[in-house]
Amino acid sequence: MPAPGSQAAKPKDRTDQRAEVALGALASAVLLLIAFMIVFVFSKAWPSFAANGLAWFGAGGNVDEQLTNVFNSPAGAENFVYTFHAWPLLYATALITGISVVLATAISLLSAMFIVEFAPEVMQRILQPVIRLLAAVPSVVYGLIGILVLVPFVGNHVISGAEKDAVRYVIQLDGTSILVGVLVLTVMITPIMVAIVTDALRSVPRNWTEGAAALGVNRWRALRTVGLRAARPAIVAAAVLATARALGEAIMLSMVSGSVGFAPNPLDGVTFFFEPARTLAATVVDNAEGLSVEPFGQTIYALAAILLVSSAFLSFAGWAARQSMRKYTLQAR
Amino acid sequence: MKNRLRRVGLLSALALVAAVPAVTPAAASAKATITMSGSTSVAPLAALLARKYLNVCKHCVNFKLLQGGSDIGVADVAAGRVTIGNSSRDPKPTDPGGLVFNKIAQDAICIVTNKANPLPGIDQAGVQAVFGGKVRSWSDVPGSTQTGTIDTFVRTPASGTQDAFAKIFLGSTKVFSGASQKASNGLIEQSVSGDPNGVGYVSLAFTKNVHVVPYKGVDCTLRNAKSGQYGGVRNFYMVTRGAPTGVAAKWINWITHSKAASAIISTQWVPLI
Repeated sequence: MPAPGSQAAKPKDRTDQRAEVALGALASAVLLLIAFMIVFVFSKAWPSFAANGLAWFGAGGNVDEQLTNVFNSPAGAENFVYTFHAWPLLYATALITGISVVLATAISLLSAMFIVEFAPEVMQRILQPVIRLLAAVPSVVYGLIGILVLVPFVGNHVISGAEKDAVRYVIQLDGTSILVGVLVLTVMITPIMVAIVTDALRSVPRNWTEGAAALGVNRWRALRTVGLRAARPAIVAAAVLATARALGEAIMLSMVSGSVGFAPNPLDGVTFFFEPARTLAATVVDNAEGLSVEPFGQTIYALAAILLVSSAFLSFAGWAARQSMRKYTLQAR
Repeated sequence: MKNRLRRVGLLSALALVAAVPAVTPAAASAKATITMSGSTSVAPLAALLARKYLNVCKHCVNFKLLQGGSDIGVADVAAGRVTIGNSSRDPKPTDPGGLVFNKIAQDAICIVTNKANPLPGIDQAGVQAVFGGKVRSWSDVPGSTQTGTIDTFVRTPASGTQDAFAKIFLGSTKVFSGASQKASNGLIEQSVSGDPNGVGYVSLAFTKNVHVVPYKGVDCTLRNAKSGQYGGVRNFYMVTRGAPTGVAAKWINWITHSKAASAIISTQWVPLI
């Protein structure tokens, strides 16, 4: 058996070198893949952007009617219809993602502080695995619960007949709404944030909080002023991760937040939360069936391109926010 | 240990390399393969038919059936990725040239309401008013037991069912812009069955949990669709690039001309003969 002997005789750094080359190749392959993806999506999406110019991002007309017209374009590239104003979809995405992330941040900060500082040992041991489990539940499960339980409940019992009648010629309130979308999305993204923030609060050096306590500050205040402050980069990282998940959430929102390209009006008061809205990702997944119709596919790719850009922008913003905090806190995670 | 692992890996790799060329040519020379992709509405029918066909012709071909939607099927067959593209919509002007739409069966589209609102009937003007958004309250719909606002559920623009519904029922009327768009027949059935004020349209196979509304005085049933009395009927196609040839021609001919295929289609759809 010469093989094992020769293996051992080889100098160790050869293995290291090989690992280095292999890992480096993998890492650059990922970079290449991302570059390829961006080029591909944008080249597919270009005709839709080019035909509409900046108006693509604006409001005007009914976005679903525009999609239908694009889908039914007459034959021949010169006859393709591209008119498309994505404002209701962009607005819906920002609205639902924004509200959910704000809610999730508040809830996760408070619950992480409770778990780390105040919860009894037994509770901690139960809570943590449960939260990790919740973070791993596939979104379609949340979507099913939403459409089978929450949507009919909100539609039949929460929204009153008068509220439905008041806006019936503009939009229908059938239970698929911002309210249910935000609710389910918040439940979906909170566990990830709790998990990350809990770890961060735990890794704050003990003597920092003890120092604060020695100065006569109570536990709550020490946690708030020292612990939370030290964990800020991790909180930003958690928020970025949660926003990314919310932004990309398609199937669940397509099921519960209403499949109408409608821009809800905050001036409607309470009704505002009962109005449906469809996000970019939900639009992509709802209309994927028509990808093969050339102008329609290009329009869908344009939506995907916006999602791609916004997630890239999101990671950059998160990085920039952490940079500015670095000086006074723990090393960014 | 490491050595043994490596040897196992090598052996299995060798086995794979040896197996692939050994299997493929044998299969390819013995049997042709018919690949199909496309409409999710046609897929269940195609699967039933293929199973029977294999029995009848004693496994003379291999079948591969994929789904994805009518437009995927049309694009796939135009690009030569599959032998047959399944489509539940009629030919469109944007479809690539040279495609032949072979009609294989028909399917009924039913107007459905919640079981709490057993609407006794609706005519074409009524459908256009309700789905076009002109009438928004059940009190304005004759025969309705509900009084609240109408919740309209429709399909997304890219759906074959939506295309057929618009052509057959709506004519030039546009769908109400506030209507909720759903991505599948099942989601429409679910939404309408969970909403006493709901109304929608689905393929005949999706009417178990909802009330089926008679259209122009005719019940939306398989029998009425077969007899031609029911008006809301659309076509199922198997699309080929040029006229079908070889095994595909035999297969499509069997579907459209044999008693056995017609019997299978009759279980839930409308056969052509």
